Amino acid sequence: MKEITVAFLLNGKKTTVTSLPNRTLLDVLRTDLGLTGAKDACGGEGECGACTVIQNGKPVNSCMIFIGQVEGTQITTIEGMMEKGEYHPLQKSFVEAGAVQCGFCTPGAILTAKALLEENPHPTDQEIREGLSGNLCRCTGYNKMIDAIHLAEERGGDD
Amino acid sequence: MQEFIYHRPVTITELKESLCEPGARILAGGTDIVPRMRQGRFSSSILVDTSGVDSMRFIEDQGNEIVLGALTTHQEAAESALLKNINPALVTAAESIGCQQTRCRGTLGGNIANASPAADTLPPLLIFDATLLLQSLGGERRILLEKFILGPGKTDLQEGEFIHSISFKPMFGSWGSAFIKVGKRSGMAVSVVNAAVAVELNDKEEISDIRIALGSVAPTVIRCRKVEQSLIGKVPVPELIKEIHEACQEEISPITDIRSSEEYRDHAAAVIIHRALESAVEQAIGRGR
Repeated sequence: MKEITVAFLLNGKKTTVTSLPNRTLLDVLRTDLGLTGAKDACGGEGECGACTVIQNGKPVNSCMIFIGQVEGTQITTIEGMMEKGEYHPLQKSFVEAGAVQCGFCTPGAILTAKALLEENPHPTDQEIREGLSGNLCRCTGYNKMIDAIHLAEERGGDD
Repeated sequence: MQEFIYHRPVTITELKESLCEPGARILAGGTDIVPRMRQGRFSSSILVDTSGVDSMRFIEDQGNEIVLGALTTHQEAAESALLKNINPALVTAAESIGCQQTRCRGTLGGNIANASPAADTLPPLLIFDATLLLQSLGGERRILLEKFILGPGKTDLQEGEFIHSISFKPMFGSWGSAFIKVGKRSGMAVSVVNAAVAVELNDKEEISDIRIALGSVAPTVIRCRKVEQSLIGKVPVPELIKEIHEACQEEISPITDIRSSEEYRDHAAAVIIHRALESAVEQAIGRGR
């Protein structure tokens, strides 16, 4: 198998990786690039959303994307959400609302919430539930996540 | 993860050339293939990644036909104002697939090529008699979607061919279309049974044209022509459910599997056809005024 070179924008920075083509974006993020915010909980079946990253503005499961499919796209991971040393409003609101229990699903849930607020700055509870339906939280902290997203929304959402 | 030779064409010509290599398979969104490769349930010595072929992602109104590029994602279909107007059943079906994360990657062409008996976008395309444009280096051909799907996971796609686009003719006059899915829960569920119905009413509000398609009740998604015939000329009333159920028996062959039982599917199929019909009729009456 021949290695491929893939160029993309990762958290705003031009990034080039050389990898075997049968590896997923999740694997490359965690193993090659040291970004361990995106996680694998369901074993790569696209069931849990713990590996969620944002690709061209849309939440996607990085475990179901071969690295070649990232070519030329913009990827945002939880590590790219801090700005000028400040946590993103969603990161703060998740902490304040107690929407973080064991923390394993949190990066994925925050990224899904970020993409949701970008498309829909004032979602209803139902829209948040639907938006987050691909992010499983086994501590079952869903209500707190909804509170957190409303809190972030009041503070200017995704600005 | 198994090994493969990887190609990433960016033009249609390059795509055609890549697919000429014997054994080459297409990778579209990857929501099905990537997990299946990991589990060893799908293998290919050559994988042709279509993520660079932007010209196959479009939703176009070509006057007498609506044409959808095969790489259109479920999310793009769900958000399309054009489709909301022309085929509301398809929009509802696209919205019901998996979750945001899968809808943003999974494609209409992938859903078709995958040929799952439970595929959600197939019934709404079948009721509009959708046609596929298949291309290869040797040329192109058109085939009815209904003829293309041969069995669970089986299609008429030949070596070197790919689905370029999907087209269907809009309905006019007093018509409506609806999709209903029964799953174990409202999000992230594979259909236990799904149904799409398109109906046209005449000025007496009788059914003048009706198309019904069901998923998860036979080896492929099916058109229920006997049910359709039994309803032509009728006024849509709640009592029709009995006729739908009887006619349905002759056409479906549900099985018991991990998601549901034969008996439940048999019952639910008629119920959701009826509900989808009610919703489509409501739209048709709204449009007729």
